[in-house]
Amino acid sequence: MNNPVFIIVPCYNEAVIIRQTINSLLDLGYTVVVIDDASTDNIQQELAGLSIFYIRHPVNLGQGAALQTGIDFVLKRDAAYIVSFDGDGQHDAKEIKGMVDILIDEKADIVFGSRFLTGASSDSSSLRKLLLYAGRYVNYLFTGILLSDAHNGFRAMNSKAAGAIRLKENRMTHASEFLLEVKRKGLRFAEYPVHIRYTNYSKKKGQSLFNSIRIFFDLVLNKIFE
Amino acid sequence: MTIIQVALTAGLVFIGLYMYVRLRSSIVDILLIFLFMAGGIFLVLFPDYSNKLAHWFGVTRGADLIFYLSILFFLFLILKLYSRIRRLEQQLTEIVREKSIAEAEEKFTKN
Repeated sequence: MNNPVFIIVPCYNEAVIIRQTINSLLDLGYTVVVIDDASTDNIQQELAGLSIFYIRHPVNLGQGAALQTGIDFVLKRDAAYIVSFDGDGQHDAKEIKGMVDILIDEKADIVFGSRFLTGASSDSSSLRKLLLYAGRYVNYLFTGILLSDAHNGFRAMNSKAAGAIRLKENRMTHASEFLLEVKRKGLRFAEYPVHIRYTNYSKKKGQSLFNSIRIFFDLVLNKIFE
Repeated sequence: MTIIQVALTAGLVFIGLYMYVRLRSSIVDILLIFLFMAGGIFLVLFPDYSNKLAHWFGVTRGADLIFYLSILFFLFLILKLYSRIRRLEQQLTEIVREKSIAEAEEKFTKN
């Protein structure tokens, strides 16, 4: 657990897939921090014996809150590079290196994974594509940053960016909040093509149409109340 | 006095007393509550005045005027409550986060 690349894996009821996800990260030698957002399944047993940092929220707060907890924790442990990685197995651990390399070369402070850049691939449904396409422009409207992928949990940042970013949106709106913070704090950002594996499991755990509407309203309220 | 006037007056008096007892607020708050309740009861008992007031605002009926004003008031209340909930949630998050990290740290330093 002394690789300066820390992988933050927020998870909520991912017991089915979590061990596989974490092992794929440990195999590559990364330092892994699991933030268990008060899961009600047997995720703790699934993680038993793995050489990871395990933090548990006593109450469910949401993915944004879990990520921020992870960031606070790893900054105390002198993490140089911090990656956010979904627990549901839809990201590919092998792609972390490419993202972190951009940070090491100091070409950016934060790298956003994108499933729509050339070289990336995903087999998202057309509804999902349409939503994400609309999401790009909603984000652009609210944050002034136009990314090719509006809502991707795969990101890498250096400690400067992690220290500057402060997520207040506890739930899924944090993806847009990252952009707001990047803009506010004047961080340099880049995008990197990633492959998203849609399994039946990750689709079930993923975002629905209803959720994107909710994210939209959270964004509006964030703008009003901030 | 009609039945509705009795019911509304009784309701206003009850709410006013309840707020007075429960909130134990400053003099200004008590005065405000008293003024609101007195105004409300006055308009309930003498609806003609509310009609006059409404005409002055360009609204046909007094009841309509009060309806419009209460919509505004409740929207304002919702926003106030929402921002308070947000603040509470952020405070809760901070506390939970600190606690979780402290517990984790303790575990790792022990091992």
